[in-house]
Amino acid sequence: MSSLRTDPTSTPTGPSLTERYIQAALRSVPPAKRSDIDAELRSSIADAVEDRVAAGADAAQAEEAVLTELGDPARLAANYTGAPLHLIGPALYLDYVRLLRVLLATVLPLTAAAVAVVQVALHVPAGRVVATVVGTTLTTGLHLVFWTTLGFALLERAPGVRTPLTGPWKPSMLPPRAGPRAPRIGELIALVVWSALFVTAILLTPRLSPRRDANGSVINILDPWLWDSGTVYVFIALIALSVGLTVASYSATRLAAFAPLAGIPAAALLLWLAANHHVLNPAFADALGWSSTATTWTDRGVMIAAGISIVTTILETAARFWRLWRR
Amino acid sequence: MVDDEGDLVAGHLQELRRGTVVLACLLILRQPNYGYALLELLARGGVAVDANTLYPLLRRLERQGLLTSDWDTGESRPRKFYRTSDEGSKLADLLLGDWDELTTALHHLRGDS
Repeated sequence: MSSLRTDPTSTPTGPSLTERYIQAALRSVPPAKRSDIDAELRSSIADAVEDRVAAGADAAQAEEAVLTELGDPARLAANYTGAPLHLIGPALYLDYVRLLRVLLATVLPLTAAAVAVVQVALHVPAGRVVATVVGTTLTTGLHLVFWTTLGFALLERAPGVRTPLTGPWKPSMLPPRAGPRAPRIGELIALVVWSALFVTAILLTPRLSPRRDANGSVINILDPWLWDSGTVYVFIALIALSVGLTVASYSATRLAAFAPLAGIPAAALLLWLAANHHVLNPAFADALGWSSTATTWTDRGVMIAAGISIVTTILETAARFWRLWRR
Repeated sequence: MVDDEGDLVAGHLQELRRGTVVLACLLILRQPNYGYALLELLARGGVAVDANTLYPLLRRLERQGLLTSDWDTGESRPRKFYRTSDEGSKLADLLLGDWDELTTALHHLRGDS
């Protein structure tokens, strides 16, 4: 009985390689199919080993070679059961990426802004506010990525879900227009008009103030320091620069990706002014009977608005640059 | 670069041959046979396939009703014999017809008359 000698499933020194291989392969096969696959796999391996031994190979080497050819038992089991060998397959991958992108782009900035507002309201020092905002945003991002990935991995393994959740693709699903675009003429006119009104309003505040002091002279709404130091003119120049660049990008399309960045210096200056209490005139607040809390909150409001404007501008430009680069 | 080109050719060949294993199995198994013997027959017949692809494939074809199976316990070890069902036989004819049509079409595209 030569088959007894070459049968690799029975050796005196514990379970053979084949035995261990079959056990490893059957582990992830449903119990109902196990015995049939077990018997077939066992006889197939024995046949292959016998063939190699008949061709002159050593029994142990033959067994090793046959099992090597069969490959990773987990992969073989997946071939038997049809289980996916990927986390998220091609049918769902695009839905997964799109959902993740939308979630990260909306939830993260909102989280950061909400945490910042609450922390500032609680009078937390600036350094700790930054640390908490960064920490919370990172943690939120990790949670978003993890749970979305887990959800899609489970969906991939759910029976019958093998088509994109968004249905078959249609040309009407195309985005209106990808990449940076030149501003429309109407947007430019609106921008110029609003900027001009804004600048005029700033320049007129010394005259428009509803309050006068005991001597009958006007109490400026904004801090007179702005005029004394000339900072208000720097601020107006920065706004003019930003508007000018945006207008220029109307004809030079390549500028369109970067034009929004020109707004950052003005926003940064505003942030600095608010941080140093140079926005509101304290005398004006007194004249209105405002408490110090009200002026502090005006400064904080300006800081938050300027900060959000800077962050969104940077993110938006980064996104535009990314699209430009990918084309 | 030579390796890359070898990989390229191997990839395209694999792509071209992907569906032929099913057809070859359905054709060969008009005579009942068991997994390992079929593996050898396919290799000798020029349709090489890995054991870890063939064994699961046979079960899939059986589940689809294209093959039927019987355990033969009379030999030195029990073996699962597969045989092409009537349905499998019909599919084999259809696939083979399609294959012939493709061959004609490809030769036609190349400019042969």
